[in-house]
Amino acid sequence: MSVEASLLFGSSANPNIARKTREIPLARYAHQRSDRMTIPGLFLALELSGEHDEELAKRLQRREPDAMAELYDRFGRLAYSVILSIVRDVAVAEDLVQETFLRVWNRAQGFEAGRGALGPWLLAIARNRAIDHVRSVGSRMERNSFEFDAREHPSLFVDMEREVFNTDHARLIRSAIAKLNANQQKVIELAYYEGLSQTEMAERMGQPLGTVKTWVRTALRVLRDELGAAVTA
Amino acid sequence: MTCEELQPEYGAYALGIGEYPERAEIAEHLARSCPACTPGVSRALETVAAMSGAVTPADPPKRLRRRVINLVSPDDKRSRAAVLAPWAVAGALAIALISVGLPGWLHRGESPKLEQALSILNDPDTKDVSFGEPAAKGRVFISPNKGVVFIAAHLPPLGAHRTFELWVIPAKGNPIPAGTFLSEADASAVYVRPGPVTNAAAVAVTVEPEGGSPQPTTTPFIVTKL
Repeated sequence: MSVEASLLFGSSANPNIARKTREIPLARYAHQRSDRMTIPGLFLALELSGEHDEELAKRLQRREPDAMAELYDRFGRLAYSVILSIVRDVAVAEDLVQETFLRVWNRAQGFEAGRGALGPWLLAIARNRAIDHVRSVGSRMERNSFEFDAREHPSLFVDMEREVFNTDHARLIRSAIAKLNANQQKVIELAYYEGLSQTEMAERMGQPLGTVKTWVRTALRVLRDELGAAVTA
Repeated sequence: MTCEELQPEYGAYALGIGEYPERAEIAEHLARSCPACTPGVSRALETVAAMSGAVTPADPPKRLRRRVINLVSPDDKRSRAAVLAPWAVAGALAIALISVGLPGWLHRGESPKLEQALSILNDPDTKDVSFGEPAAKGRVFISPNKGVVFIAAHLPPLGAHRTFELWVIPAKGNPIPAGTFLSEADASAVYVRPGPVTNAAAVAVTVEPEGGSPQPTTTPFIVTKL
């Protein structure tokens, strides 16, 4: 794995250290990372999540408060990890986790209990909240909840591979990322963690927009193929 | 734009980094449940979801679970204890505090209790007395016409077949039984005793055999002068 790859997606190793600016090299935290690689622990509880989605979704739709507890027990840590990796601030992350779960609770009626995948939906909402936050803090883009609404509509999260959160897939996505070249990794990282638009990436990296777009497309296709190959294998 | 033209942009769109005009075009296709773009974006969202598998795990603070659950479920012992903690609040605020603590009653179908409590708290003649005994601390609201609301935390553990009993002690004469109650798992209690309370000089709480006693059989561990 390249140095770049080893840093990728490992930049939030210490949640107690809020990154002051987004320019501090991610390498600062890299040394802490190996100790904190507890991916199996994180995903163990999620191994069977797909089987229980339907029942839990129905309970959410019936607005059973216990269902919220179960939803949190199943996805709380993952949602928190995703959000914290983006906002780098524990207090903000807590607020956004609450916003995420409340949004799922309030919109569960639109979720198709038999076909929907709760985890991917919830994590999309979580990441969107975090990206929305860093964009608005940086005054980079105005908040545009309409766009988020379209992208997190529950109807999009149907018939998905529900085992995307299990231990094997965690390893798989890491090895898939390691197969990307440095530029592809960089754009995926800037997109996933910072929500940089492709135009912003092009400016930051001093590259033509068309080149950045190609890197993004290729990177996503590689990831998709790697994951897909494993699913069908 | 056609679905074929938009197809290469599904990934960027799913990641939230799509550019105009493709971004708006895809949103428009999704809004009309486009049969090509909807599953296409769905697959791209699946990949984005899988990326969370590469995020470094972080443990959320334990309080976060409570905060999330409390968003939809006010019926919780620990939240009630937290609500009852700031004993120093002004009398008027207590009404708001208790109205936060009481929805648990509503949840358990005890809404009349809430109405009784509010009617006591809202009575202009209601006395409001805090106490901080070694054994417990809390607050009593007592209305001559409406009744008593008794709130306490850190109550002592009850033995088997025992109950707490509230007493209204008149200026002259024997303590008058004002009902029995149990504590919650966190040693707190919110007890409402509706009905007129005449000549009350103090309230007291004792531990009594199950069902209560006509006169105290143990020494009160709370005695609060009004």
